[in-house]
Amino acid sequence: MPLAVIDGALLAAAVWGLGLAALLAALPSPRARGGSLAALLPSAARGTAIVASLALAAVGALRLAGLETPPLTWDAGLPGGRFALGVDALAAPFVLLLGVVAAISFAARPAAAPGGASRGERAGMALHAAFALALAAVFTARHALLFLLAWEGMTLLSAALVASDTRSARARSACFVYLAISHVGAALLGFGLLSLAARAGSFDFADLAAALARLPAAEASPLVWLISAGLVVKLGLVPVHVWLPLAHPEAPGPISALLSGAMVKAGLYGLLRFAWQMPGLPIAGWGMTLVALGTITALIGALYAVVEPDAKRLLAHSTVKHAGLLALALGLAGALARNGQTALAGVALAACLYHAVGHGLSKALAFLSVAEATHAGGSRDLERLGGLARRLPRLSAGALVAVLSLSGLPLLSCFAGEWLMFQALIRGYSEGPPPLRLLAPFAGAGLALATALAAAAMVKLYGIGFLGRPRTPAAAAARPVAPGIENALLLLGGLVAAWGLLATWAMTALGAPLGAMLGPAFDPTALVTAGGLALAPPPATSASISPLAIALLLAVFLAVPFAWARASGGRAEVRRAPSWACGIRLDPRMQYSALGLTKPLRLIFGRLLQVEREVEVLSQGSPYFGRALRFRSGIPPLAERMFYQPLVQAVLWASDQARRLQAGNLHLYLGYLLATLVALLVWAR
Amino acid sequence: MTALLVLLQTALLVALAPLFNGVVGALKARLQMRRGAPVWQRYADLARLMGKESVISEDASWLARAVPYLTLAAILVAASWTPVLLARSGMSFAGDLVMTVALLAAARVLQALAALEAGTTFGGMGASRHLALSGLAEPALMLAVFTLAIGAHSTDLSTISRAVATAPLGWLSPSHLLALAAIWLVVVSETGRVPVDNPVTHLELTMIHEALVLEYSGRHLALLEWAGAVRQMVLLTLVASLFLPWGIALEPGSVALWRGLAAWLGKLLAFAVVIAVSESVTAKMRLFRVPEFLGMAFLLSLLALASASLLR
Repeated sequence: MPLAVIDGALLAAAVWGLGLAALLAALPSPRARGGSLAALLPSAARGTAIVASLALAAVGALRLAGLETPPLTWDAGLPGGRFALGVDALAAPFVLLLGVVAAISFAARPAAAPGGASRGERAGMALHAAFALALAAVFTARHALLFLLAWEGMTLLSAALVASDTRSARARSACFVYLAISHVGAALLGFGLLSLAARAGSFDFADLAAALARLPAAEASPLVWLISAGLVVKLGLVPVHVWLPLAHPEAPGPISALLSGAMVKAGLYGLLRFAWQMPGLPIAGWGMTLVALGTITALIGALYAVVEPDAKRLLAHSTVKHAGLLALALGLAGALARNGQTALAGVALAACLYHAVGHGLSKALAFLSVAEATHAGGSRDLERLGGLARRLPRLSAGALVAVLSLSGLPLLSCFAGEWLMFQALIRGYSEGPPPLRLLAPFAGAGLALATALAAAAMVKLYGIGFLGRPRTPAAAAARPVAPGIENALLLLGGLVAAWGLLATWAMTALGAPLGAMLGPAFDPTALVTAGGLALAPPPATSASISPLAIALLLAVFLAVPFAWARASGGRAEVRRAPSWACGIRLDPRMQYSALGLTKPLRLIFGRLLQVEREVEVLSQGSPYFGRALRFRSGIPPLAERMFYQPLVQAVLWASDQARRLQAGNLHLYLGYLLATLVALLVWAR
Repeated sequence: MTALLVLLQTALLVALAPLFNGVVGALKARLQMRRGAPVWQRYADLARLMGKESVISEDASWLARAVPYLTLAAILVAASWTPVLLARSGMSFAGDLVMTVALLAAARVLQALAALEAGTTFGGMGASRHLALSGLAEPALMLAVFTLAIGAHSTDLSTISRAVATAPLGWLSPSHLLALAAIWLVVVSETGRVPVDNPVTHLELTMIHEALVLEYSGRHLALLEWAGAVRQMVLLTLVASLFLPWGIALEPGSVALWRGLAAWLGKLLAFAVVIAVSESVTAKMRLFRVPEFLGMAFLLSLLALASASLLR
């Protein structure tokens, strides 16, 4: 079949292209000659990477359209099967998302200076391309060892990128926390997958699935729990989410976009691939655990996003919130599928996959535009930005689309998934297994609260960072952004709107991965009614929404008042005037600050957040005549306080106890030797 | 016919929205031994504002000019599938109760953004309070939605309305009454009524909703005021049609529709009396007491849900 050949060639082009881009970028440009060829190297690397990423997106899209591809194989001479890369139905939406986000992230890289790229820039681009390649390998690997190698490569390359941008202590410590937690996760994942491979006698995914289905439950479920625990680290669920808000914002904007837009989804992909037991059924308790963890994660992420003053870190906390939603939907699907409710599980799983792509697109756009804005305004602190919407209107329009989408506004890419999750929760409550009856109302209320809090956080991000008057001279003098970058961001903004508006088509396209997970009993066309215009969980009588019809209505209801206002109040023009400040000169510091805007929420949730607040009056002589006030406020992360501090203390205590063994007495050590010898003799007898 | 009915019901909600505020105002004036403004006053206010020049801050971006139109449009879309006279809507396929909540939330987010445009203090004050309080109202509202949806096996507005109307004494069940109490508290908070907010206040330090629109004037202010009135009308109509659907027409027919209209107007008048009396006899709460008020709504919703599953 010729089309399949093209598709296979596309995958090869994507993989080799990304590798070539990394090589081209790493080549030193001989600037002494000033040759035209050397100056072209950085652009060539970037162009190759963009084309390769687009090829990757095309592979994903073609697979969703139903085109099966032969996998690329390579005999590495290892036992347990050939290394293979291929895109099956489950991987297709993730590959599509990765391709689109990677292409935009390469397009949004700042162009190299005319004199040739510096060493740091070359290293950054090479690592960027290699990171994209590792991500592509994670999503396309069909071989467990290759998957683990790609997983490790993804972690190490992204850690290098996290520490590359600034030589600040903050980035280094973020990189350390990230590496430490990731390696605990990778160890669990590696142990689980390799033990499974040992039982299967092969590394091939199909053999692993068969082996897992064959194993008795008592043997399979510890393996699945181990693998899940390892994967959940990348997804960023409580309490192993702490690395995410530290590491994601420290990387440069395009890398943050890849980290939050695509790498977090690698955790989700792994859970679907390995823990769901690859087309079998999830093990008992797995789904309910994910629902509970996901709800808590969504709430914690949203709450910390509200109180975060750093623009990029706010977005990272919002990623934690959305990771929680993904886990919630996945767990719900798992619990329902295990209970035999395939149609309903399909609703939750469709919500999960749709939201994974929708959030990936929105968050990539948010990170790219906010990174550009904070770069232009000279600070990541929201209190030092402001007024960017007037100064950089096109960039701000991109940021606005992302912010509105992430606040869960209808018609944009994060809404339909949340709507389906809510529908599945309601139906799961009435028809699902008993534990779900207890959990579903709390998950529903948690979903609502997390969405409302996330909206507040997004209003803070855009309202304080982009609107109002510039809060500092640096923000007032924000540099313009390269038009190429702005165009790339607006294109991504268009995709965010399209994914939301065309949700019914998106759902139909997701039919293939849904069918792969749920088996032939699931009918993907049942998610769509009204001639493909409305989205409805089966049975179609329950409820439906139609983004396109709403968009049409919205256009009418926008046009009618507008035309009427124009016609009736023709003489009443809109006039621009300075803001009124009760007769005194308006100062940017009179505006609400990011801290002030969220003060009510900080007070309401004060018990949970444990806000640290310190006000000091600096005075000379009498304390009643202060000369200056010093204010400091901070919110220690909850997980660190409740989980990691006791953990670290326990480890220290245990090592303290272990030290007692080493008293430094020679006779004692000889005694140990003797005891070990006797024990070995007894054991080996 | 269905298209005409959708149009008619939306038009009713839009046209009568200012009148409801006028009636509440007149009732309150009577209760406070004042003569008060005529019930039509709000229409005159809107007409006056429509004819006036609109002033926008020099610091504002294009968003400030778009938000009044976007807010009104979002609320009108939500109004288009609200069952007013008839518990069967031609627009049911486009949206449900969750979509209504989301559209109202969208209007709220846009207004909060616009309030931060001018770079003054009051806009930020309004945005800050509005976000906090409606954020807390959301879970209570969603739990009430949950209770309703479980009873009707649907989140579709007309289906819920029919299910409650046709169930014999279904509205008398404890879960239904508890959910009604919860949703009333949420509606009071979302429409900016006493004791959460005072709709006629001009004291900067206490206002919430008024501070959000403080920077707007002229035509833009008229659109926002009207949008606020329609939002209140939509929320009250939802209470009337979903919790107390007596008299609502189940099938289209002129007699049934006229009866539906009379029932709807009667219920709205009753709501106006309840609001006027409660606004006259209660004082506004301190801002940081409101979370307790909304916490009560959440608790009532939870009790409603618990009793719904216990008493099945």
